[in-house]
Amino acid sequence: MIKVDNLTKRFGRHLAVAGADFEVERGEVVGFLGPNGAGKTTTIRMLTGFLPPTSGLARIDGLDVTLQSVEARRRIGYLPESVPLYPDMRVREYLRFRGQLKGLTGDALRQRMDEVVERCGLHEVRRKIIKTLSKGYRQRVGLADALIHAPPLLILDEPTNGLDPNQIRSIRNLIKQLGEAHTILLSTHILSEVEMICDKIVIIDGGKILASDTPANLVSTMRAAGRITVEVRADPAEAANRIAALDQVKKVTHERSRDGWEEFAVLVESGTDGRERLAALSQEEDWPLRTLHRHDATLEDVFVELTRKD
Amino acid sequence: MANILILFRKELRSFFLSPFGWVVLALVSAMQGWSMSTAMKQLQDEASALSLVYRVFHAPPFWFYFLAIFPLITMRLFAEEERAGTLETLLTAPVKTRQLVLGKYLATFCFYIILWIPAYIQFQLFSILTDLPPPFSTGALLGAFLLVALMGAFFIAVGSLASALTSSQIIAGVLTVGILFIHHFLGYITEIYGDRFRAAPLFHYLSSKEHLSYFSQGLIDSRAIVYYLSAAAFCLFLTGHIINHRRWRN
Repeated sequence: MIKVDNLTKRFGRHLAVAGADFEVERGEVVGFLGPNGAGKTTTIRMLTGFLPPTSGLARIDGLDVTLQSVEARRRIGYLPESVPLYPDMRVREYLRFRGQLKGLTGDALRQRMDEVVERCGLHEVRRKIIKTLSKGYRQRVGLADALIHAPPLLILDEPTNGLDPNQIRSIRNLIKQLGEAHTILLSTHILSEVEMICDKIVIIDGGKILASDTPANLVSTMRAAGRITVEVRADPAEAANRIAALDQVKKVTHERSRDGWEEFAVLVESGTDGRERLAALSQEEDWPLRTLHRHDATLEDVFVELTRKD
Repeated sequence: MANILILFRKELRSFFLSPFGWVVLALVSAMQGWSMSTAMKQLQDEASALSLVYRVFHAPPFWFYFLAIFPLITMRLFAEEERAGTLETLLTAPVKTRQLVLGKYLATFCFYIILWIPAYIQFQLFSILTDLPPPFSTGALLGAFLLVALMGAFFIAVGSLASALTSSQIIAGVLTVGILFIHHFLGYITEIYGDRFRAAPLFHYLSSKEHLSYFSQGLIDSRAIVYYLSAAAFCLFLTGHIINHRRWRN
């Protein structure tokens, strides 16, 4: 559905997106993750045809976004980050205007308007003037606009930004439902959102795509970040040395002593599990063992590992 | 084509959805009335070979309010879309930049024509109220209104261009006023320096003041028609390119 090939955008001397590559298959819900200023919005603006790329290629459903821009745009429902609306228009009037611009007329338009008003929970406010609506409702109006022409692809730029927890929940549920019928590219920096909604994650930072995989795969390739906690009764210095001498152990730190028990954090190499060998070691050395726990890496670990600057 | 019509309707409605359009309409018709009564006063004071139409369009208040119309009705056009971010939703819908420019331009032009309806009614009212034959010929009236439409076509295009250049309405408005003032005073060059230099015909050609004096006597000059329409087309062409360029460069 989306195919991005070596996409680059330069603003003067600033390189906003540096040779991004990724793909989104039809029917996938993809989380587009990155810290603020990572190049998410710029990439999205290039995909939607608002900004032309400096170099590289992006295709939507096989259509080049710069050369076949209008055709490509017909296939996209786009919700920009700031949710720009016309404050003086009424909700239905706005949706009618947007529907017409996207090529709907007559009965089809009316039917689609009723559908998106229903779907986005705008029924009570459909006659209100947009400037009187709360942020949550405005977000829904923006979403209704993105949906009005039933596009196969939805591109949502931080759709839950600035909403209260209840509103976030309802928008999130809506996106989840939409994911059943649409391909969705969802930009965000809220990780729990991605974990709940997305099939796949693309992580971008400094204009570069750092990872593109399913959440489960990302977490499992990040096993290095998965720590093991061991608690034994032994001499701390000696135990630390013995554990560090084991294969595939990268680092051992003595966390604390608690009524004679020594707690260590053991970092093992990616893709390995040191628990069995640690248990064997404690048996061999005759150390009483109280805790042996492997911490699963979370998406947050993956994100921090990939995007931290230090 | 359909897109132009949709954008045209939306833009024209937006003039009437906020108090702004109504305020402009009220202001302009008041000024037109003032021009009219000034002209009638002049005719009362002294006999004149020139018609009421000529007098109205040469009354002291005329250029003053006429040039002020354009920044008011055009400064919003693109600057506001840019500032509010709605330019992004417009240009990520299947809409071409030139359709956007034309739709907005035509809507503004249409609103501008509506602004002149009160003046037309005032001229018709003259003979109805005074029971005198109209002190002007139909040709003079049509000629004057034709030139008002032509100048509007050009000046609105200038305003659109200024509005596309910036995301601040104020700057767009000031820029429009500036360009229109310079344009207006270019028309006085031959009056100040005489006709005895080689570029004099050019300044005659550029002078809206001169065109207005011919047209409001019923003399329709096709050169002026070509001048205003081609200048308008050129400004609109630039407007479209600037909107694209601002995105390309950003």
